[in-house]
Amino acid sequence: MPDVKRQRVRDPLHNLIEFNEGNPFERMLWRVVKTAPFQRLRRIRQLGLSDFVYPGATHSRFIHSLGVFHTARQLMRIVQRYVPDQPEEHISAEAALAAALLHDVGHGPLSHAFEPLGKSFGWKLVGEHENYTEALIRSTERGAIGEILNNYHEGFADMVADIIRGGPATVYRSVVSSQFDADRLDYVRRDRLMSGTHLAGVDFEWLIANLEIGELQPDNSGVRRKTFVLGPKAVYAAESFITSVFQMYPTVYFHKTTRGAEKLAQAMLQEVAKLVADGCVAATGLPENHPLTKFFKEPENLAVLSELDDSVVLGALPLLRQSDDKLVKDFATRLQTRRLFKAMDLGVLIIKAIADQAGRYDEHAFLRMQGDITQRIEDWLAQADHRGRILLDTATRKPYKPIEEEGPMNQIWIHDGGKLVDIRDRSPAVAATGVFRAFRAYVAEQDDEARKFVEETTANAIKGA
Amino acid sequence: MSEMPKSLRDRLNPIAQVIRDAGGEIVGRTKLQKTVYLLTLAGFEKQFRFGYKHYGPFSEALADATDLAVAFGLIFEHQQQAAWGGTYSVYTAPPGEQSAQPSRIRLTQAAAQSDAVLLELAATAAYLAQEGKPRPWAETARRKPDKAANGRLDRAKELYAQLREASDNALPEIRLE
Repeated sequence: MPDVKRQRVRDPLHNLIEFNEGNPFERMLWRVVKTAPFQRLRRIRQLGLSDFVYPGATHSRFIHSLGVFHTARQLMRIVQRYVPDQPEEHISAEAALAAALLHDVGHGPLSHAFEPLGKSFGWKLVGEHENYTEALIRSTERGAIGEILNNYHEGFADMVADIIRGGPATVYRSVVSSQFDADRLDYVRRDRLMSGTHLAGVDFEWLIANLEIGELQPDNSGVRRKTFVLGPKAVYAAESFITSVFQMYPTVYFHKTTRGAEKLAQAMLQEVAKLVADGCVAATGLPENHPLTKFFKEPENLAVLSELDDSVVLGALPLLRQSDDKLVKDFATRLQTRRLFKAMDLGVLIIKAIADQAGRYDEHAFLRMQGDITQRIEDWLAQADHRGRILLDTATRKPYKPIEEEGPMNQIWIHDGGKLVDIRDRSPAVAATGVFRAFRAYVAEQDDEARKFVEETTANAIKGA
Repeated sequence: MSEMPKSLRDRLNPIAQVIRDAGGEIVGRTKLQKTVYLLTLAGFEKQFRFGYKHYGPFSEALADATDLAVAFGLIFEHQQQAAWGGTYSVYTAPPGEQSAQPSRIRLTQAAAQSDAVLLELAATAAYLAQEGKPRPWAETARRKPDKAANGRLDRAKELYAQLREASDNALPEIRLE
């Protein structure tokens, strides 16, 4: 009997990720991996510009995607113990595994750092990477991902895309999208490993060993849904997992230096886009046939988007340094030489002021001051000669959301004496966690006027609170 | 707090206006989102851009502005407990004038008084139609099979027809497939 070929990938996190070519489903997925859109992920860094702070964090969306598939396969082995052994269940499980593999295939250059650019211009495909992901999965021309999926099973591309777009809310979707999904289980551990931080450890094997499937109380549609639940011995592992995800935000994902670099890149690309839209391509420093120029002319063109990746954006910096536009030239130089704007942590100042004035943190007071300062700075930036002199960064992360209108599928449930209990009701640490809010302004090192304006605006907002 | 910048007030006031047009109260974040989406689709609102999330059309900018409007006291938010265990938000606005456009007010009130699941289905189908999907209702049913079950898809179609009528046909017609 001939040996069945196994496609093997060595991974720093999971060690060995295999695709068994003797299995028609995995053989099909390996074909998907070989497509141009999936291969593009090799050139998209998982953490955008985080390597400005963590030089080891240069890993790609490609290996993360394979890792999510590998983790989803582990989760699915647990699911399969609880569902009937029927063809419709098998195909649903396979659709979720394919969705796990493909969930990030539409990420733009620099990962999440590119999306605000799309949002600011109302470009759908790059404004939210899920839109581009969906378009790639549903594309059925010859050799495209959608065609490969549909050749495996009629209508399979739609099944996969529908899971990524959020429905139906089955246990299979939990594998791809929940507070305990394969994506999160991969990225927290991978980003920790590659960044080199020693925070945010996850007791993965123990979590998996204690994972079960449970049936929830009826939700607002009156449906009892199945989802992942953890045994009672995993309460602290679950608590640690939630804390770990949370800790990654201030220390890695929302690190002030990384975000400062991203803001420079976004502001620079925004100006380039405006120049192209105004017909001033020559002033950008880019040639007419540069992938970025083509993209800014046709931001919703799938073929044009397929040429965009980190190497295109970072490789454009030497050209953009030759731009006639002062901002583009300056920001491109700063990004190429890591001479970033200086961060002013306004959130810390506000929190300190609230504590001094009220004795305890007040979420509404924070939002009022942040909103006031933001608006005054935006009004200042709209004045002549103020363009790009202050870059603002606001970001929020809730470590664990209480059960709200979205329903019970988003919670982490603990199996406790025959009933299911929200982790918040078993872990005082989880119940007590607040919201992390980043609020910063960035100014050039010698721009005393801009710095002074930020300082005075912040002081006035605090004084007037 | 020192006086709020006018530009900020102008940005947040439309949310209070929608709640006032609804009669002073909108129950649920989802309903607020879908109501503002339909107002946007009908051309009565222009400020918020919507994308597609798990629960249909959703605007992150609207969600952020809503939190900010609550923080500034332009609207109020009360958390309530649902029978199924979750919590939901009830938004109210201080008394004030309603919009000058009767069709805008009728659409807002019809949306705010409708069943939340039917409104989500109707808004989703309208969004998919705007995105050029040839069979928006069928696709809505495929994406949300549980919510579309038990005759709810047909009732959502009826709801959309009522909303469109309330808007004086400012909402676009969408295919019934």
